[in-house]
Amino acid sequence: MSRLLWLLAAVEPAAAEGPAEEGHRPAEVLLHHVTDRALSRHFDYGPLHFEPTQHLVFFVIAAGLVLLMCRLALRSYQKGGVATGLAAAVETVVIFIRDEIAEKNIGHDGRIYTPLLCSFFFFILIAALVGLMPFSATSTGNISVTLGLAIVSFVAMQYAGIRKYGLLGHFKNLVPPGLPGWLLPIMIPVEILGMFTKPFALMVRLFANMLAGHMVITVLLMLIPLMAAINVAFGWAVIPVSLALALFIMLLELLVALIQAYIFTLLTAIFIGMFAHPAH
Amino acid sequence: MNAQALAYFAAGIGAGLTIIGGAAGIGRLAAAAMEGIARQPAAAGDIRGAMIVAAGLIEGVTFFALIVAMLLVLLK
Repeated sequence: MSRLLWLLAAVEPAAAEGPAEEGHRPAEVLLHHVTDRALSRHFDYGPLHFEPTQHLVFFVIAAGLVLLMCRLALRSYQKGGVATGLAAAVETVVIFIRDEIAEKNIGHDGRIYTPLLCSFFFFILIAALVGLMPFSATSTGNISVTLGLAIVSFVAMQYAGIRKYGLLGHFKNLVPPGLPGWLLPIMIPVEILGMFTKPFALMVRLFANMLAGHMVITVLLMLIPLMAAINVAFGWAVIPVSLALALFIMLLELLVALIQAYIFTLLTAIFIGMFAHPAH
Repeated sequence: MNAQALAYFAAGIGAGLTIIGGAAGIGRLAAAAMEGIARQPAAAGDIRGAMIVAAGLIEGVTFFALIVAMLLVLLK
């Protein structure tokens, strides 16, 4: 059970075992690779843990990179007004998000959600790309981080509905008009559940995608010692296969980083659009 | 067979079934998208975008099941 808590709360007890002792079982290597680790124990106050963890550090690095990138892109506008270099790349993505994601799925008033959607897109993309570097960790491969993103997305959805129809109208819109009265006891719980399953699905999708790629790469590389334990010749023979497959999955991860950032952004926009324009 | 062996067994079978479902879904999706693109190459961009979103949704559900299978192994 404690393993589940590690994966969910994603903080592995740091002092439990040294690096020399761990790694004797494949499942533990795998788990060690994807779970969070506390980097120091200086900020423990009883049951509260404020210590910097590996995922937290890379979360801050990814967020810092996004801010830095946008600041650098802004400089080009202050100089001339024509976007060049980095600014042109950022501008392309921002305009794509504004025109193709926000306005198409939310409607003509979808423009005000562009900053939020851009933040989601750039953060998820950069966090996933940072996670592909050697000696780093994917902060979005931690369910607490994706929970945070999903909560922001949930608040945005509710805000969109309440802003347009008022608090009462927003909840009235959950049930389509003209529904027979006897269906109400079924429809109301289903719709309220649907309100929460949307961000929940966003949370699990991003978490699982980020986790799965890293696990597959680890498993492929772990084939080498597993085979070498049977026979040293097997170990040598499996090295090229293992490395080639791991490289392939690594390249696939580049694609997955882009696709997941796109899907999270797009689905948030679609869900916001659903609450802003309920079915009539 | 003790409980741990059963858990490994269930995880293996579960992962296999998950992949069958996911592959069937994405396969049908890709086939339909290719047919659509072949019939109307001008709409290739839109079809590709819609396909990626649908593929992401299918993949998401597949990952739900894979995580359940993974927990069976990791929790013991």
